[in-house]
Amino acid sequence: MKMSDNAESPIETQKEESQPPSDESTTTDDKKKIDVLLKAVGNTPIMKTKKWAVERGRTIQSLSQFISRFLKLDGSEQLFIYVNQSFAPSPDQDVGVLFDCFGSDGKLILHYCKSQAWG
Amino acid sequence: MSCCVLEEEDFRRCCLLLLQRSEQLSDGWSWEAVQGSEEGYLRKTALRPVAPSPARDQTGSGSDSGPPASCQSCPDPQGQEKEEEEESGLGASSDIAEDDEEDEDDGVCTVSEGSSQVLQYEYHILHSCSYAAPVLYFRAFTQEGRSLSLEEVWSSVHPNFRLRLQSSPLNTITLQEHPLLGQPFFMLHPCRTEEFMRPVLQAAQEQHRPVNYVLSWLSVVGPVVGLDVPLKYSTQLCPAAAPGSSTQPG
Repeated sequence: MKMSDNAESPIETQKEESQPPSDESTTTDDKKKIDVLLKAVGNTPIMKTKKWAVERGRTIQSLSQFISRFLKLDGSEQLFIYVNQSFAPSPDQDVGVLFDCFGSDGKLILHYCKSQAWG
Repeated sequence: MSCCVLEEEDFRRCCLLLLQRSEQLSDGWSWEAVQGSEEGYLRKTALRPVAPSPARDQTGSGSDSGPPASCQSCPDPQGQEKEEEEESGLGASSDIAEDDEEDEDDGVCTVSEGSSQVLQYEYHILHSCSYAAPVLYFRAFTQEGRSLSLEEVWSSVHPNFRLRLQSSPLNTITLQEHPLLGQPFFMLHPCRTEEFMRPVLQAAQEQHRPVNYVLSWLSVVGPVVGLDVPLKYSTQLCPAAAPGSSTQPG
């Protein structure tokens, strides 16, 4: 997995061969990126890189899988993601929509928490 | 930690608030009272398509830009892995690009061969005194009126949760007798509720702002079993696509 070492800058795309990343007029809305700030809750490990540039069309589930792998959670651990520390967005929710509704200061803050398996 | 439990009176109060919002949003919840008492439960029915289709069951969630969700049928071997191809544009972002692992599709699973296209789900939210938490009961029928088996229900659990739920030592979804109706319903076990509610409640306490326990809880458990909780429950005000503008305090 390629990862940028620069934690603070938006991650530039590396595999988009046919689309110039900077020309937003030719990219679909889904490909536009929004800034996401990930904050750990409770005993959950803190991600070394907290700020990520995420395509609007990315779902919460996809982001959750990414964080889980990044944190090397084992199969029995469930990751929960919260918006406004008040509700959990649906796994199918696009982050772009969440950003539009709940973003502030140009970023969407998501809190995440790991928990042992249900039951 | 007493902040993470929900007593019955607060449960009813939260349900009432949720109900009011549901009416504003035409989301379909109703309060079913037990005759002669204040006790009752929230109820909602929903139709849930299970055939392979480009549109996901996203009623009210506001997410209509999603990629096609190919149906992850149980006997579909090639469907199990790499269902993120529709999000392959995202493979371009080096930050979150794990297409090589089993990114399960978030489509709704078919129940069985030759089954009907649409299932009728019925969801009940009850209060459990012993867990001091809300509990989700549900049942589902095909259009022909056949009720779903536990296996079929498991296969329709959202892929985001399915693996973990199934790996837990106790069955998380079990067939139970409905405490008030006495009929068989599936139930999502409440024993982890406090755990996933804690971050929400602690933050609310620290920031001195109210939170609707039932709504927050529902936003977590609902999607597990195909119950969508529209974003609008949580937005006081959703700005007209103005990135960068602050919509919520804190």
